[in-house]
Amino acid sequence: MALLEVRNLEVRFPQRSGELVALRDVSFSVDRGMRMGIVGESGAGKSVAAFSILNLVSRPGYIAHGQILFDGEDIVQMSPAQLQRIRGNRITMIFQDPMMTLNPVLTIGTQMIECLQAHGKVNDREARRIAVEKLRQVKIPSPEARIDQYPHELSGGMRQRVVIAIALLTDPDLIIADEPTTALDVTIQAEIMALLLELCKQEGVALILITHDLGVVSQVTEDTIVMYAGRIIEEAPTRELIDHPRHPYTEGLINALPERARQGQRLNQIAGSMPSLHVIPDGCAFHPRCEHTHERCRHEIPGFTGTTHRRVACHWRADQEGQEA
Amino acid sequence: MTTASTPLVRIDGLYKRFPLDRGLLEQLELDGLRLRRRQKAVNAINGVSMEIQAGEALCVVGESGCGKSTVARVVMGLLSPSAGQIEFAGQRIDGLPRKQLAPFRKRMQMIFQNPYSSLNPRMTIRQTLEEPVRFHFPDLTTAEVVERVAEVMSSVGIDPGWGVRFPHEFSGGQRQRISIARALTVDPEFIVADEPISALDVSIQAQVLNLLMDAREQRGLTYMFITHDLSVVEHFGSRVAVMYLGTLCELAPTVSLFSTPRHPYTRALLSAIPRLGGAQQDFIRLKGEVPTPIDLPPGCVFHNRCPHADARCKSEIPRLIDQGDGVQVACHAIEEGRIE
Repeated sequence: MALLEVRNLEVRFPQRSGELVALRDVSFSVDRGMRMGIVGESGAGKSVAAFSILNLVSRPGYIAHGQILFDGEDIVQMSPAQLQRIRGNRITMIFQDPMMTLNPVLTIGTQMIECLQAHGKVNDREARRIAVEKLRQVKIPSPEARIDQYPHELSGGMRQRVVIAIALLTDPDLIIADEPTTALDVTIQAEIMALLLELCKQEGVALILITHDLGVVSQVTEDTIVMYAGRIIEEAPTRELIDHPRHPYTEGLINALPERARQGQRLNQIAGSMPSLHVIPDGCAFHPRCEHTHERCRHEIPGFTGTTHRRVACHWRADQEGQEA
Repeated sequence: MTTASTPLVRIDGLYKRFPLDRGLLEQLELDGLRLRRRQKAVNAINGVSMEIQAGEALCVVGESGCGKSTVARVVMGLLSPSAGQIEFAGQRIDGLPRKQLAPFRKRMQMIFQNPYSSLNPRMTIRQTLEEPVRFHFPDLTTAEVVERVAEVMSSVGIDPGWGVRFPHEFSGGQRQRISIARALTVDPEFIVADEPISALDVSIQAQVLNLLMDAREQRGLTYMFITHDLSVVEHFGSRVAVMYLGTLCELAPTVSLFSTPRHPYTRALLSAIPRLGGAQQDFIRLKGEVPTPIDLPPGCVFHNRCPHADARCKSEIPRLIDQGDGVQVACHAIEEGRIE
């Protein structure tokens, strides 16, 4: 059984002008110890997808449809008390900006001990010992001293290490990291990603990494999902996705990276921009920007072809593969 | 660079300090038994010199807090230097009074990072684009202004008919096109772009970069391109200046910098770029953190993190030394041949 299984998830945000559908028919699964990447541009729905796993969709948004099975239990149906046993305990989260995540008026130690005691019976002394150990695990120098410092006394990279240490406190089964290095410099980013990868491997924790950076994904995850306008459009083992993308959008995204173009030459751009969620085109949402569009793409939403972890939603690709077979 | 012609922009011995203390009392401190006055300041730029030749795209890279944006602002005259001078086409422009600076403002324009805050939300696109033209070319008739703006708008891929709209009606990528159009309307020679694509999505970044490259080709522009994204630099720049803690570590042609980075900091920086190559590569882990620009370390600013630092690095500030082929590096270890 998969550790996490999301089935036909639909998330809606009621608005004055009608309901906005942020996620449509999103299904995916994460196995124990697996590292999964979710990539897409802003507005693709990747963060909403991650937040809904913890039932953290901000009001008035709500999960309109679908199941989120964690270890076989449906998170969507859980009472707040039941959810409390999972959220922050067995599934933890790392957010983008560590300065926003950490409470500026509490020491790191207070925040870590609070977290431990919220999820289990631990006395202060034991909690402090665990906190120091986790800080050491994320390679913070002299953790015994650092634990009594406030977030503003640490650098950005150190703060994100603290956030990772907090995410590891309860020995979770799954960590959801939402753009964990976007706010950091490139040398710090490399260190934080290497650390996260090492810890996940070492502790056997599953990871969902949400990012817009294909370079980061390619170094950390085993499997990657690409989202566009609220839907999953492709899933593949990361290496495979980058070397042989099947969806025209994935292909365009990879080819648009400067490292894919010849020095001094024009970049391979995708025309247009992602549609607003208010006016999603009929049929395949990508069809106005796609160079392989034909009549069917304009009317019919493409279904998936392929297997669970190697699938694509594209009429053009399906036709092509049908011809080859 | 060994060219006989005058560089378009010359930055010479630039320093910029931002004082931290507000009053005299805050500056007083006790040294033994004597009261001393000491001014605290953020040393944002510490002796930067470089030349930008007409037609080139000089990229300035570095991590947050290295002073790259401050350099851009000082060059544009938005900040005045604490010491040193800026020359544009052979004429000194820092410290010029407003009136005398105006003709230079027309020749140099800036594109800012965030297209959401750099466009006036209460002005229509047409007003935003026409204002600089009317200001710098008061002799043009209304019809000529309109024509000029329309021409620039279509060249950046914005329908001139959209001129009546307001900035909030556009997406981030479109807004950045509008900011580029605003810079181009006065037909400048030199454009300073401060992280112009950082706030944009990947597929939009490619569109905007292409636009900037097309504009360079068609209008013969010279760029100073400030960025933290090294993969963009590799693609876009003709030369790269690497900054660390307000100083210039290395200045080299792009191809040479990426094939043989010399300065230890450049090497670490390049090795940390996440590449589409699968498995984590062996990046150089730097020890420690960037020191605060308030109390600069003596000697080479990089010495406390450098694997090659020795006694000389801790006491003596390295000068930028020509290594041939247009490469300049400020590092004692390179100068002495201790590292390749």
